[in-house]
Amino acid sequence: MNQFRKTLLGLSTAVCIMGLTAAAQADTLKIALAGPATGPVAQYGDMQKIGVMAAIDDINKAGGVNGMMLEGVIYDDACDPKQAVAVANKIVNDGITQVVGHLCSSSTEPAADIYEEEGVLMITAASTSPSITEKGYQMVFRTIGLDSLQGSMAAQYILNTAKPARVAVIHDKQQYGEGLATAVRDQLAENGVKAVMFEGVTPGDKDFSALIAKLKKENVDFVYYGGYHPELGLILRQSAEKGFNAQFMGPEGVVNSDLAKIAGDAAEGVLATAPKSFDQNPVNEARVAAIKAKGEDPTGPFVFTAYAAVEVMTDAMEATKSTDSEALADYIRSHDFDTAIGKVKYDEKGDLTESTFLVYRLHKDGSKTPAE
Amino acid sequence: MSEFSLYLLQQLINGLTIGSTYALIAIGYTMVYGIIGMINFAHGEIYMIGSYVTFIVIAGLLGMGMVSLPIILIIALVVAMFIASTYGWTIERVAYRPLRGSNRLIPLISAIGMSIFLQNFVVLSQGSRDVALPPQITGGWNFGDPSVFEVSLSYMQVLIFIITFISMTLLTLFISRSRMGRACRACSEDLGMTNLLGIDTNKIIALTFIVGAALAAIAGLLLGLYYGVVNPFVGFIAGLKAFTAAVLGGIGSIPGAVLGGLILGVTEAMTSAFFPSEYKDVVSFGLLVLILLFRPSGLLGKPEVEKV
Repeated sequence: MNQFRKTLLGLSTAVCIMGLTAAAQADTLKIALAGPATGPVAQYGDMQKIGVMAAIDDINKAGGVNGMMLEGVIYDDACDPKQAVAVANKIVNDGITQVVGHLCSSSTEPAADIYEEEGVLMITAASTSPSITEKGYQMVFRTIGLDSLQGSMAAQYILNTAKPARVAVIHDKQQYGEGLATAVRDQLAENGVKAVMFEGVTPGDKDFSALIAKLKKENVDFVYYGGYHPELGLILRQSAEKGFNAQFMGPEGVVNSDLAKIAGDAAEGVLATAPKSFDQNPVNEARVAAIKAKGEDPTGPFVFTAYAAVEVMTDAMEATKSTDSEALADYIRSHDFDTAIGKVKYDEKGDLTESTFLVYRLHKDGSKTPAE
Repeated sequence: MSEFSLYLLQQLINGLTIGSTYALIAIGYTMVYGIIGMINFAHGEIYMIGSYVTFIVIAGLLGMGMVSLPIILIIALVVAMFIASTYGWTIERVAYRPLRGSNRLIPLISAIGMSIFLQNFVVLSQGSRDVALPPQITGGWNFGDPSVFEVSLSYMQVLIFIITFISMTLLTLFISRSRMGRACRACSEDLGMTNLLGIDTNKIIALTFIVGAALAAIAGLLLGLYYGVVNPFVGFIAGLKAFTAAVLGGIGSIPGAVLGGLILGVTEAMTSAFFPSEYKDVVSFGLLVLILLFRPSGLLGKPEVEKV
């Protein structure tokens, strides 16, 4: 009898607690934030986090969405495709139906499959690989342009402005980097400029001296690198030590103050394509001030794309008065949004109909200015 | 000299630089294997810890306003060697000694566990991001006609050669001349018999771990300064390469580890020189397979005699 009573008591307590949490959940709406919080490219995860958290703060201050307060929950995929799948499953299990992320294209692609199947709305603020939206997904959107766009912008700059004599294209053999490098190489070839070298390096490698000697031997004067900053930083640093002085160019995956920390003075003058600096836009002045007031950096390339991702979600929620992901996805596909990155409009695939990349020149203090 | 020979010379310098640091790490693997016949998979992590300690010490001393680079480097080296040796000794005491005498597989699993533990320990205490140190030793010699091909040999590369050479010489002298060294050689020949003859083999094994860790710390300092970047995952790849070098040269043999390291480094540089550099690991591990097929005990290794 005693035992039975104890069990009963335990059960009723459990029910009470569950009831309480359910009540508390009713007025908060969780948004999952998937990206690398650890690992070599965690800096980009930070940019995404800064943007999403700023958007959530602003929206909550203005009274939330449909009477609910937003809450950002961070999930760490370490930019590892295997972990991304685990994270996606965890988000589904946790019952969250809106995701901002993932960040690395190679993580976003396998995760998108799961979200599509489970009816979770996903907006990536950073993945630029075209193949992510090519499978006819209904739940997957972006607030950033595609590699094809970025690659052609880089190629145009090389052809029309830089006009180098001998170009080499190097990449890190990953979906994002190799995709971009291939786009640049192909576009150059179409315009009659043949890359003298097209080669991959191993991510995580530290020694590029053999590669640099080869570039030097080929008299290369312009290097396009498709990949992230840890490898490019080392290539720059070792190039400077070995007296190899070519102009380097990279995608937005190298735009990060850590590039300058790794490469030192050698980071001065590196070119990079990146989403327009939305933090320079006067429209975002208050948002920039709010981020700075928290002691965070608003200049990263993914801060405002992440901010806009939250805006698109919440605008759709307010308009449809629901949190049902399918209704939201339909609404997003058929409407325009006014966001921190300007007017946002989607095509059938979930890509932006227009998006702006610009060519920037990076500096050794970690800042960037539009390239001439 | 023609462009080709200058280019070859440049790639040879690059290969020897990286090869000598592989050799420094490989010695730790080979010494431990030579004596207790186990692979210490946590050794790469010791190298990584050595790099971290170097960075912390150098950044700290520079922050305190010390300007003399040689003194900073010597202090960093001593501290890194001391801390790495402490880790080496502790790992042996905690993870391997209690398992001695058990099935060979058990300490191996324990070593892999130790490696994962150390990696995550550093991730938690230092963060998982790349830590960068501005170049400390810059400049170098350039020779060859700049219009043909200019070969560069940086002061840092020369420093790597010199320190590696000094460490190897000291180690060889220690093993061949000192009492402790003689005990080490005896242990590697027959651990049980050495014990019976009144040598404290536990002490000798601990010493092996300490010496191996100190050499890994030297490699950590040199490569840390050379590349200027360290993260908690560098130990894994470096450890794998050094292990390959040790097997290539004949595991258990110290000259073999040095030879294996240099061969591996030069092979990598030459592969990147004449093929796309993504084939570098394919060729170096292919070479390992070939050598193991035709000389299963490595280049300088002694075939294992079944003890009755």
